[in-house]
Amino acid sequence: MRGSALIALVTLVAAAFGLPGVGAATAPHPSLPGLPDPKVMTGQPGRYGGVFLDSQQSDPSTFNPILANSTSSTGPLANVFDGLVEANGKTTDIEPGLAESWTVSKDGRTWTFTLRQGLQWADGAPVTADDVLFTFQVVYDKRIPNSAADVLKVAGQPIEVTKVNARTVQFHTAEPFGPFLREIGNASLIPQHVLRKAYDAGQFNQTWGVNTPPSQIVGTGPYKITEYRPAQRIVYDRNPHYWKVDMRGQRLPYIDHIVLTIVPNQNALRLLFQGGQADSYGVRPAEYAEFARGARAGNYTVYDGGPSFGSEFLTFNQNTASGMPGYKLRWFQAQKFRQAVSYAIDRQAIINQVYAGHAVPEYGPESPADKFFFDPHTMQYPYNLQKAAAVLAEAGFKKGTDGVLRDADGHAVQFVITTNADNPDRVAIGNIIRQDLTALGMQVTFAPEAFNTLVAKLTDSFKWEALVLGLTGGIEPADGQNVWKSSGSLHMWYPRQAKPATPWEAEIDRYFDLAATTVDQNRRRDYYNQWQEIVAEQVPLIYTAIPHAYVAVRNKFGNIEFTAFGGPFWNFPVIYIK
Amino acid sequence: MIRYIARRLILLGPLLLGITFVSWAAIQLAPGSSDYFQSLVLQYPQISPQRIAALRAEFGMDQPPLVQYLHWLWSIVHLNFGYSFAYNVPVAWLIGSRALNTLLLSVTSLVVAWALALPLGIYSAVHQYSALDGALSAAAFVAISVPSFFSALLLLYAAFWTHLLPLQGLTSVDFDFLPWWDKILDVARHLVLPTIALGVFSVGGLMRYMRTNLLDVLRSDYLQTARAKGLPERAVIFRHGVRNAINPLVTLFGFELGGLLSGAAFVENVLGYPGLGRLVLEAVLKRDVFVVMGSLLMGSVLLILGNLTADIMLAYVDPRIRYD
Repeated sequence: MRGSALIALVTLVAAAFGLPGVGAATAPHPSLPGLPDPKVMTGQPGRYGGVFLDSQQSDPSTFNPILANSTSSTGPLANVFDGLVEANGKTTDIEPGLAESWTVSKDGRTWTFTLRQGLQWADGAPVTADDVLFTFQVVYDKRIPNSAADVLKVAGQPIEVTKVNARTVQFHTAEPFGPFLREIGNASLIPQHVLRKAYDAGQFNQTWGVNTPPSQIVGTGPYKITEYRPAQRIVYDRNPHYWKVDMRGQRLPYIDHIVLTIVPNQNALRLLFQGGQADSYGVRPAEYAEFARGARAGNYTVYDGGPSFGSEFLTFNQNTASGMPGYKLRWFQAQKFRQAVSYAIDRQAIINQVYAGHAVPEYGPESPADKFFFDPHTMQYPYNLQKAAAVLAEAGFKKGTDGVLRDADGHAVQFVITTNADNPDRVAIGNIIRQDLTALGMQVTFAPEAFNTLVAKLTDSFKWEALVLGLTGGIEPADGQNVWKSSGSLHMWYPRQAKPATPWEAEIDRYFDLAATTVDQNRRRDYYNQWQEIVAEQVPLIYTAIPHAYVAVRNKFGNIEFTAFGGPFWNFPVIYIK
Repeated sequence: MIRYIARRLILLGPLLLGITFVSWAAIQLAPGSSDYFQSLVLQYPQISPQRIAALRAEFGMDQPPLVQYLHWLWSIVHLNFGYSFAYNVPVAWLIGSRALNTLLLSVTSLVVAWALALPLGIYSAVHQYSALDGALSAAAFVAISVPSFFSALLLLYAAFWTHLLPLQGLTSVDFDFLPWWDKILDVARHLVLPTIALGVFSVGGLMRYMRTNLLDVLRSDYLQTARAKGLPERAVIFRHGVRNAINPLVTLFGFELGGLLSGAAFVENVLGYPGLGRLVLEAVLKRDVFVVMGSLLMGSVLLILGNLTADIMLAYVDPRIRYD
């Protein structure tokens, strides 16, 4: 193919230029002219050159990192912009990024960051404290709808940002703010010298849209966009001003170009990978066996990252405004009813049938992939129909001679489970759950519907009884406060409560507030353990199984360190083509 | 003739008004469905209700539906198609960025379809009930009954196993590094599959039309007269037969012009072709209303103009038709 010929040529040229670095002594503190203190990335010394063939499912909706909020936009920008700090893909710890160091005051309310000396934007302009100030001015601007502003509010107040000198900025929070470091790293720094004019003219929301010439998009990341063809591809070149070096002090990244192909659906991603037009593919658990078999012939490796972050769950409507008859509401509000359902769900069947055996049962709201915050001691509900029937009996439910389960007042237990029909995993899980619950004598209808219909029911009309849904997760539990706090708009079973409807929801609220205003991470972990234990006991969301994260990666790269959190390419700058 | 065209063009306005109003109402009346902004909360759990309300207000979607429609209409009159919710760029740019690709595909498949269908239809009619006519008819029925997304899937798997043709897209990964002649070749190679899926599979219907029409004409008295006065059979068929049989096909052609920018949606989605169909499908699913409205408007204008073109062409082809 012509594609591979091109790659070979680029590699050859780069190998010739890469030679001078070979054999250089490993300096303890590598530095570059003008950049005395670059960040050193660990890994084998690699070689320069080559093209990385990336792919994703839909077009980015913007190139503005402040406005981007779906993965189809944040993904393509991940290699173009940086934050003050960054999470290590392997340890999940927060490490220095554009800021080389930081300190926090004793009261936990003032954070001081020092930028690396000699940092440059991709166009060569210096990165200064003014850029940091500008970034947060934009984030907190009411006219600019961005996701960072929702997360970076402490006690409802924006964080105060002040400049100390050209390389030092101070952040002052109204109260101590536990997730501060992780959240501040999520805010991508944007260049004041490029965007100030548009911002002052009130045009920021239309700036750096997908119709912008790529050369105008300037970041600090390892790559810069050189071309965007809608619905076809994004092409990147390496940024010659990048601020990381390898262990020999050579400036990263190693790989010269990224070509990101945009396709309309998951099957096309798969074909692209199998056809050699993409270097990696997120293998679904059900496809694992097939991909593992083809690994040698296709010259790729399938990495197992262990349990991933996302998970599907069943939830019952406990909202008094749902228009359900009172007796139904009372079933769903009964802890015993929900626990019985949890006992009755055959998680192993879900694991075997939906995830082809490549998943682990899940009972609580945190994934074991979150090494720091996961609490392994929560209550568990292994599959046990007798136990489920016994728990139901305790709550006054009785199975009649006709095999129908009835509550204490004689109402037959009938309800409808729904989910979004476009997600095959959820549909399969819903079917298994329906069968399991039928065994208890419940009369369950499973009726998947269109995604938009489901969203309207969930957020607006509240006219649903039970649903199977999933949410993506991450390291920081505070990101889930919209789900877990009783006032949250995604507190699915009873959203936007004026005050907590139950004592346990009040407890969760309290622990979330405590954890949000505590800076000591170990104490925060204790608070979030409490939350996980309450949720597992009360089961407002009945979790099913958490699939493993698999990625197939072509055997042409050096320095791959795959993790479920960071994926195969979290250390991309130091990855090279062998 | 000029007066006729002018009259048709003036009628275009009320017609488009009706079409847009009905489509707007259809989008608004879809029962129990959330709008674009509401569904953000599932994609992005951290988003606050205030943020959602602010976004909705920014696009004027906090107004009553009728006011929204009138706003949209007012900006259309000023040739402003509004902004996409999902992309926050002008709808005109979004549509423009894909329209040329779809046009290219539609034109190639249209040319291929007609270039194949007319001769085959003529052959079938002239050699009615011959073995080849039977085979062609059978093939035509298969082509008519296979939906285009399915034929695209079949072709995709054929291409995957044979490694002869690119699987998706319009250009190769290294397109930008190629010299211009390779660029043309590259695009041509990428066009083969979608053209077959869209064009060749529509040959069936056209061919049957041509065959039936020509058979009707071949049985008419004036062809007997032509033969009787000693014209060679070629001249009978091509000068007198085909010219008269083609009239209904001209009308059909007008419809196809209207479908130029909208007909390829299925094939585009299956074969990953960077055209309008993908954009519009995505916009419908996300309820990105202005993008949907913009492309509907464009499709309607093209359909109406296509029909007008067909009517004008008919007047030239068929001397019996006069509009004044």
